[in-house]
Amino acid sequence: MTTGNQGTQVRIRNLSRSFHEGERRHDVLKEMCIDVAIGETVALRGRSGSGKSTLLNLISGIDAPDSGEVEVAGRNVTLMSERERTLFRREYIGFVYQAFNLVPTLTVADNIRLVLELNSVARSEAEERIRYLLDAVGLSDRAMSYPDILSGGEQQRVAIARALAHQPILLLADEPTGNLDDHSADVVLQLLDKLVRQAGGTMIVATHSAGVAAFADRTLELHNGKLMN
Amino acid sequence: MPAIYRASFGYLRRHPWQLGLAVLGICIGVAVMVAVDLANQSSRKAFLLSMDTLNGQATHQIIAGPGGVDERIYTRLRVEKGFRSVAPIVAGYVLAGETSLQLMGVDVFAEREFRNYTAPRDFNNDLAGTRDTGRPEQMVRRFLTGAGSVLLPAKIASGLNLEEGDKFDLVINGKVYPATFAGSLALNDQQEINNLAVTDIANAQYWLGMQGRLSRIDVRITPRTDYQLESIRQALPPGTEILSAAGRTQTTAEMSDAFMTNLTAMSLLAMLVGVFLIYNSVAFAVLQRRDLIGVLRALGVTRRQTFQMILMEAAVIGALGSALGLVAGLWLGDKLLVLVARTLSDHYFAVNVTNISVSAPSVVKGFIAGLGATMIAATVPALEASSYQPRLALTRSTLELRAGQLVPLLGIVGLGLIGLASLMLYLSESSLGIGLGALFVLILGFAFCIPVSVRWISIALTPIAGRVAGTAGRLAIGGVSKTLSRTGVAIVALAIAVSATIGVSVMVESFRTSVSTWLGNTLQSDIYVGVPRGSLDPELLPELTALPGIVAFSTSRRAWIESATGRTRIIAIQMAPGSYAGTSIRDGDPEEVWRQFDEASGVLVSDSYAYRHSVKSGDVVTLNTKNGPVEMAIAAVYQSYDSNEGAIMMSRHTYDQVFDDPEIDSIGLYLEEGVSTDAIMDQLRDVSSGRQSLIMNSNARIRDISLGIFDRTFVITNVLYWLAIGVAIIGILGSMLALQLERAKEFGVLRAIGMTPGQTGVLVTLQSAFIGFLAGLAAIPLGLVMAWVLIVVINRRAFGWQIDIAISIESIFVAMLLAVGAAMLGGIYPSWHAARARPALAMREE
Repeated sequence: MTTGNQGTQVRIRNLSRSFHEGERRHDVLKEMCIDVAIGETVALRGRSGSGKSTLLNLISGIDAPDSGEVEVAGRNVTLMSERERTLFRREYIGFVYQAFNLVPTLTVADNIRLVLELNSVARSEAEERIRYLLDAVGLSDRAMSYPDILSGGEQQRVAIARALAHQPILLLADEPTGNLDDHSADVVLQLLDKLVRQAGGTMIVATHSAGVAAFADRTLELHNGKLMN
Repeated sequence: MPAIYRASFGYLRRHPWQLGLAVLGICIGVAVMVAVDLANQSSRKAFLLSMDTLNGQATHQIIAGPGGVDERIYTRLRVEKGFRSVAPIVAGYVLAGETSLQLMGVDVFAEREFRNYTAPRDFNNDLAGTRDTGRPEQMVRRFLTGAGSVLLPAKIASGLNLEEGDKFDLVINGKVYPATFAGSLALNDQQEINNLAVTDIANAQYWLGMQGRLSRIDVRITPRTDYQLESIRQALPPGTEILSAAGRTQTTAEMSDAFMTNLTAMSLLAMLVGVFLIYNSVAFAVLQRRDLIGVLRALGVTRRQTFQMILMEAAVIGALGSALGLVAGLWLGDKLLVLVARTLSDHYFAVNVTNISVSAPSVVKGFIAGLGATMIAATVPALEASSYQPRLALTRSTLELRAGQLVPLLGIVGLGLIGLASLMLYLSESSLGIGLGALFVLILGFAFCIPVSVRWISIALTPIAGRVAGTAGRLAIGGVSKTLSRTGVAIVALAIAVSATIGVSVMVESFRTSVSTWLGNTLQSDIYVGVPRGSLDPELLPELTALPGIVAFSTSRRAWIESATGRTRIIAIQMAPGSYAGTSIRDGDPEEVWRQFDEASGVLVSDSYAYRHSVKSGDVVTLNTKNGPVEMAIAAVYQSYDSNEGAIMMSRHTYDQVFDDPEIDSIGLYLEEGVSTDAIMDQLRDVSSGRQSLIMNSNARIRDISLGIFDRTFVITNVLYWLAIGVAIIGILGSMLALQLERAKEFGVLRAIGMTPGQTGVLVTLQSAFIGFLAGLAAIPLGLVMAWVLIVVINRRAFGWQIDIAISIESIFVAMLLAVGAAMLGGIYPSWHAARARPALAMREE
């Protein structure tokens, strides 16, 4: 995978997105421009409804903008079809959510295996990677457990392992510590730091938390769909 | 198995109730379909096999009018014309003990080419088809020479405790004749003709009172002797015809086509309800996993993979349900076979079948139908799942908003379908298939209109419910319209099943009322006297009718006449003075009609006959009489529910002019006022004692027997629609269960803020009852329209009946009770579940 020009991993230009609520139009993002360098960790801060999650959805191709462009690793996501965006996301992007969103009917190991299977990773390699990741997040002994018997912190660690399983070039995290106590939040941040930041990965984290923002290389403030300096 | 499918099946494993109910629903749908198919096929096959056995190698049969074929024709063909491949047959029914047997009188010498059970392989030593009892020579000798020798199937003989050479009595035409058991017929069990008795033709003629006459002459034409057919035809006198044996069998078998088609349609109704149930189950499964599907889509699962995942689940449910349905279908088919065979024997032809014969096409068809219906039903939810955006969860309000937008559109589509069904009914004239197709389109049309009606009713009733039952009432009633994406389909499934009960019960009740009124009008005599499957002794007749206390009598003869185009029922009546009013004339001035009937050889045709042959008063019918084809004027169409093949009624005088058949089947006696019916019956018994065993019934008794047969005919219909109701109850149970699971958090919150378990249970129960009420309400118009279509279109096209519609408030009330009851039954477990919800856990699970 080639990266963008001059070491830019994510390039956003004039990105706008609005939603309609009956007759009323609600502008969530307005003419947004951002560059994120390769290996950089950026924190997006802002109040609820400031457009953080929408921005993550647009970067990953989960949602399509009204106007503007998103380039990830030099590829224009906004020009892709829905299917192309899905395949792109599958291969190059990892997600960590506030509510974990593990598949409740799969074991911890299967949750990670699911992403590897979707990316057609060879079985032996997949097993090795699952072992490595579970070891890295400290859950080797919970491989066969189902998510609903894990604590919130443990579930988020599984989510991180799953997000990194296919070695994405970009990790998007939406309030990754929002549902966790301080201790668990620390553990999660340390993991993200160790497995993504120190390993040279690019990460964008949407958060309310000053603590999480402090851990980023750069913090961007969102207010009413616009970037504040 | 790939993790994506493990995730999917893991869901099913975690919701065994939903999985089980969906499987059960499709299982019953398939079972009913397969059972009806197998019962129909088995009965038909049994009949065809028995006809094959009876016809043997005969390719053609020579037949004549009701009086039979003059036996001199046989002699002329065989001796004078030199046709060797002909065999005379005299057939009729006899009683051995309590067992009714089909008696076949044969000429052993002529049989050689036709049937293997009497034709000798080595004539001097054996009868080919008879079981080797160790004394074949004696047996053959006895059969040929012994007066009254009869061959019986071993099973019948052992049932009658007969040893070879034993004497026993046969009751024929109400008279007792001595017979000898000459030996066992070697019938293959699969030939399904275990009630056959074979005797020498002379015995049969004597017993059946057919001296000098034959029932038919069997003819064997091979490609090599094809040229003889025309010669035989030319050698036959007027009124005698040669017809294809297979064609005759086919024509008889086809008489039951409409009955079987209607049963199949009823079974498809259960399947249709099953389709809604499957749709419901899969739609719920998708709705409940909208978060999960959102996550999978965010992880990179494509739309196609999502679609495939849901369809794969449906395929597993469908395959499992269909496989179980096949097993259940075999069991149910065995039970239905008895009902189908009984109805066929009551109305169409004697069929003797005890075991279901499993045919691979029926089984494959049932499995494919079950699987296919499941896949079709699952397609919409699967498309819905694949349309989910890869974001976190469509909120429930978004889903309901979407459903809310869809509901009016569905209503419009529904109205369009109703219009299409009306057009199909209008344009399809007499096609039964299109009529049934239109009925299904009509059901679908109504089904699509139900959600929008439900929404309006629910919105209108919410404030009232609030005033009556407080917050719980408002939540229960208002909740239905706010959860239409989930409750809508359940209501539709129940409404269809309940409407079927209204439609069928109104149809049956209307039919029964019409038949009952008709019987009341037609049965004018005080006593009816007849002979089971035979005719009255002509010497006895004057003595019976001359008894003191009898003021008048009518006579009746029912016979079939055949031609290449099929069979026609002829009823010859000698009316008693003043009894004409008992026959309701549809299209003419009764006075003029009866004048033509009595004096001008005019005939009356029944409703069914008129419909099937598109004739009316003033037209003519051509009958094959002893004088050859004769055109007879139709004086009128008359009301009759006697035979769905239709009948031609003529005066006895006219009948005697055109047919050589002096027989009289039954007489109706009119008593002087004040004379006791029982006393006259005693006198009749005295007069007939030792001469002919008669059946005597009062007017009221005949009416009861007739209505008994009517009710018996509809037992199978009732069984089928109760099964459809069963499927619907399963659907409601599944829906209520899923709905309550879906609302677990809501109940958790309600419990957390102080609602007691009892109040939560009441809330769910109220909602269940309301869902039932709405389904019942929706079912009324659909049920009534369905009844109208069944009566005016389907019954008319299938059987030619003209039925007056009679709607009873009772059947609608019962349907409403059924709907509410079914929904509440379906809501019992969910309300218990909701009441037991632990607030903290429920909220955490969500």
